[in-house]
Amino acid sequence: MNDFSELEADLKKLRPRPTSPDLAARIEIGLAEVAGRGTATAGVLPKRRSFRPNWIALGLGLAAAATFLLLARMNVDRPSTKAAGLALISPAPVTPAARVDDSFVPSALTRVVYDTRDEGLHFTDGADQPMRRLRTHKRETVQWKNPQTGASLRVSYPTEEVTLVPISGQ
Amino acid sequence: MEDAVTHEEDWKVCFAELGPGLVLFARQFVRSIADAEDIVQEAFVRFWRKQHSIENRGLLYATVRSIALDLLRRDTRRARREAVASADMEQTTEPHFDFDDGSQRELAAALDLLPIEQREVLVMKIWNELTFAEIGAALEISQNTAASRYRYALASLKKNFVAHE
Repeated sequence: MNDFSELEADLKKLRPRPTSPDLAARIEIGLAEVAGRGTATAGVLPKRRSFRPNWIALGLGLAAAATFLLLARMNVDRPSTKAAGLALISPAPVTPAARVDDSFVPSALTRVVYDTRDEGLHFTDGADQPMRRLRTHKRETVQWKNPQTGASLRVSYPTEEVTLVPISGQ
Repeated sequence: MEDAVTHEEDWKVCFAELGPGLVLFARQFVRSIADAEDIVQEAFVRFWRKQHSIENRGLLYATVRSIALDLLRRDTRRARREAVASADMEQTTEPHFDFDDGSQRELAAALDLLPIEQREVLVMKIWNELTFAEIGAALEISQNTAASRYRYALASLKKNFVAHE
């Protein structure tokens, strides 16, 4: 037996003060943040780093697609401009039948992407995988044309589009 | 790893059991309970994130100790204050324990008189029930050294406590 058994017993009677009620909550938040950074769902931090080139590629792809759309729409617009010019020079003969069909029909849509912002990974409600949120600002121009008279109407407006892109660890 | 703690709710059970002892251990390095709880929070999250087995209690206490010492090193003014606090036993600090009577208060005061090397061993042994092997692992000392520090602590404590009585 040791000489300190009584002292040890006295020491054990001392009860450490309980922790603050919020300490457990703080730890829970800390663990959730760690999980949010990827341990449970999207992998650990190095894994996240490996996604980066994919998003650069995606960004470039989007930019290329936007440029292609823009050029395609410009090509579509050109003939219609010519048609409008022709219409001014030689307006179509006004007939009773033409009056009946005197209406505007959509003829062109131009969509110009002038800003795409990557807002990082987000969890949507109920989702167990994070998704990358891309916010795109565009200007869309819709054109209507009256095929009979050659008159055209053009409306241009800004748009904002939020796209959630699923991420993949592969 | 089968015995690694991975389930979300397990940490709560573990924390309920070990939390007060861990905070008490952290308070051997800092005098503020808020600082001690910050240390335990960081240690617990770090330990859990790495999915260490909770059976490895020595590592958990080593993590607490490492974070506490880092904190002291980072803030030299704080370190100086803590050194003064360790030397100045008359300084009033928040009590570490809930007391039932004056005798317990005296005992706790005598505990504060111990050098940190002895106090940390005593805290791990008495209130956290670590083995000397676990204490040795946590402090990176041999278990014989841990055991002898424990004996020195009890001897000093007995002497001081009796002197106070």
